[in-house]
Amino acid sequence: MEPVHLFSLASDQAKWLSLRQTAIAQNVANANTPGYAAVDVTPFQDVLDRTTLTLASTQPGHIPLPEMDARAAKVRKSASWEITHSKNSVSLEQEMIKAGEVNSAFSLNRNLVSTFGRMLTAAVR
Amino acid sequence: MIDELSAAMKISGSGLHAQSSRMRIVSENLANAQSTGRTPGADPYRRKTVTFKSELDRATGASLVSIKSIGVDRSPFAVRHEPGNPAADANGYVKMPNVNPLLEMADMREANRSYTANIQAITQARAMIAMNIDMLRNS
Repeated sequence: MEPVHLFSLASDQAKWLSLRQTAIAQNVANANTPGYAAVDVTPFQDVLDRTTLTLASTQPGHIPLPEMDARAAKVRKSASWEITHSKNSVSLEQEMIKAGEVNSAFSLNRNLVSTFGRMLTAAVR
Repeated sequence: MIDELSAAMKISGSGLHAQSSRMRIVSENLANAQSTGRTPGADPYRRKTVTFKSELDRATGASLVSIKSIGVDRSPFAVRHEPGNPAADANGYVKMPNVNPLLEMADMREANRSYTANIQAITQARAMIAMNIDMLRNS
C-alpha cells in the first residue's frame, strides 16, 4: 500500500485539517480582540510541495532534521471579508464557512482511510 | 492531531471565558443603571468597560484570548433635578450613572453571538475527535 502513499498522505491531510481547525478556533476566540489580525494556514498544496527527502543518520553524532511538521504550515494572515474599526479582521461568518469546509474534508478523509483499512483487512483475511 | 484539536478546544474555552466575563460586566452595568451616590453631590456608579487581548499560550503555541483590563467609562454623568434625593447637591441636582441601556443591550447581543460562535467551534472540534475515535472502532 505504501507506494500509493495513501496512508501517509491522508495522515498529513488530517494533521493539516486539525491545524486549520485550531486556527479557526483562535480567530473565533479573538473575534472581539482589538488589533487582532485573522490567521489561516497555508493551502495544503503548498505543504505537499514543501515536503522534502529526509537524510539518513549514519553516524551517532548526526542530528536528525525535523519531520514535516504540520506546524510548518502555519500561519499567514488571511484574506478577510471585513476589518472593523478596532483593526480586528475576524469575520465570524467566514470562520463558520471555513469550519464547515474543514469538517466535511475531515469526514471524507477519515472515511476514506477506514475504507482502505477495511480493504486491507479483507485482503489479509 | 488530537493535540491540535485539544488546543482548539482550549482556545475556544478561553473565548467562552472572555465572553462570559464581558456578559458579567454588562449585567453589572445594567443592574447599576440607577445607582446614585449616597452623600450630597457624590459621584454615582461609573459604567465599566472590558477590553480583550490575545495572549500566546506557550504550551500550544496558540493565541488564547484573555481580559486585558476592566476600565471605567470617563464620559460625563447626566444630571437630573430631584431635590428629595439624598444624593442631591445644594441646587437639587442628582448625578445619574453614565450607563446607556441601549448600548449595554447591543454589547450583550455581541457577547452572545461570539459565545455561540465559540460553542460552535468546540462542537466542530469534538466532532473531529469523535471521527478519529470512530475510525479506531470500525477497523
